[in-house]
Amino acid sequence: MASLAASSISFQPPHALATSRVSGLKLVSFMNQGRNSLSFGLRPMPARVRISCAAKPETVDKVCEIVRKQLAVPSDKPVTGESKFAELGADSLDTVEIVMGLEEEFGITVEEDNAQSIATVLDAAELIDKLCSGKSA
Amino acid sequence: MEKGVQRWLVDISKWNPSSNDFSFALSLLPQTHHPSITRFVKMEDRKRALVSLLLQYALVHEVLGIPYSDTVINRTLEGKPFLECGRFSFDIPNFNFNVSHHGDYVAIASEPLCLVGLDIVNFTIPEKETVQEYIQNFSSCFSSLEWDRIITAGSNEDVLTEFYRYWCLKEAYVKAIGSGLGYGLQKVEFHHINWTNISVKVDGVTNPRWRFWLFDLGKGHSVSIARGYPRSAVESYKRSLKRTEFDEEEYNVGLNLPNPRFVFKTVEELISVVHKALCSC
Repeated sequence: MASLAASSISFQPPHALATSRVSGLKLVSFMNQGRNSLSFGLRPMPARVRISCAAKPETVDKVCEIVRKQLAVPSDKPVTGESKFAELGADSLDTVEIVMGLEEEFGITVEEDNAQSIATVLDAAELIDKLCSGKSA
Repeated sequence: MEKGVQRWLVDISKWNPSSNDFSFALSLLPQTHHPSITRFVKMEDRKRALVSLLLQYALVHEVLGIPYSDTVINRTLEGKPFLECGRFSFDIPNFNFNVSHHGDYVAIASEPLCLVGLDIVNFTIPEKETVQEYIQNFSSCFSSLEWDRIITAGSNEDVLTEFYRYWCLKEAYVKAIGSGLGYGLQKVEFHHINWTNISVKVDGVTNPRWRFWLFDLGKGHSVSIARGYPRSAVESYKRSLKRTEFDEEEYNVGLNLPNPRFVFKTVEELISVVHKALCSC
């Protein structure tokens, strides 16, 4: 288990979206700004330090597929682990549906506060892998 | 005080800018906002984001007369935009606004005293699943009374309409208070008489300090407005408000202001207003 090495979190102005990887730690400060339609559903927790373990590539791929279909992303636009749901055009209804779709696909239940911390495809994939490994343990 | 109550609406299906037109419109907005527009993958989303900001700057300029260079629009952690630099005035003690976009429409609503929340829904018919399967995804967001109303509404079209209307109202409320969270929506229960006289019960208790309206915009879109109590705002949004304390009498004046119809604006008009404001600095 990685330990929290960084002790200071820097706050950036709301419009600047910054994520930095610091030796396995992912510091995400201010997320999801720029969405003009404030909505409930998938909403990231602000300034949350999380321990990032790499998600399985096949999980990431599957999430990309589900998201691409739900949001009808044109085939010429990439959807990757780094893709943010909001930037792909997800509105409040989409985000709830995506979570439901992931629950169905992977046979998991996503708690509300976990759902709120998912901003990218990778976030979702990591959560899924965590829930799936928790189940089989 | 009535001047602070605004409802503006733009039909963006009528705006098809060339890439130069788009760049020009973008250039009218402060540089700090540009990433929040260009980060969207789809052009339609970029258009909505751009028009939303144009609405915000145009409205602030027209209603409050603040010079463009003094206008600072920021966002709370949850993403709700607010005016950072508003000045105190007796007749507009707590200017605040909210924006929404969905489908063909982008809209803004402002209030001089009460909180305002606004939401547009575009009634889309689910393609890959039945109506029942689709709405089932959201069942935990509704109280049992509301859910019952939805599923017994009648035809598939009726069920979907009922669903979207309740959803729209919930969004307006959540957005008014500035909450970005899931929030236990099933506790916020809406009551109405044929979608008028709309009121809300939270945890079973009617809250008399809120008003709601729901209108059809045509083209399968509806818009909802929530007007309510500044002290109900979430902490981060409350900090952005000029005033949250009002005595009963003052508050009732704000609560009972007229709720005007939406005024249509074209993108060209907004561009012109913002451009003029920019140039007169």
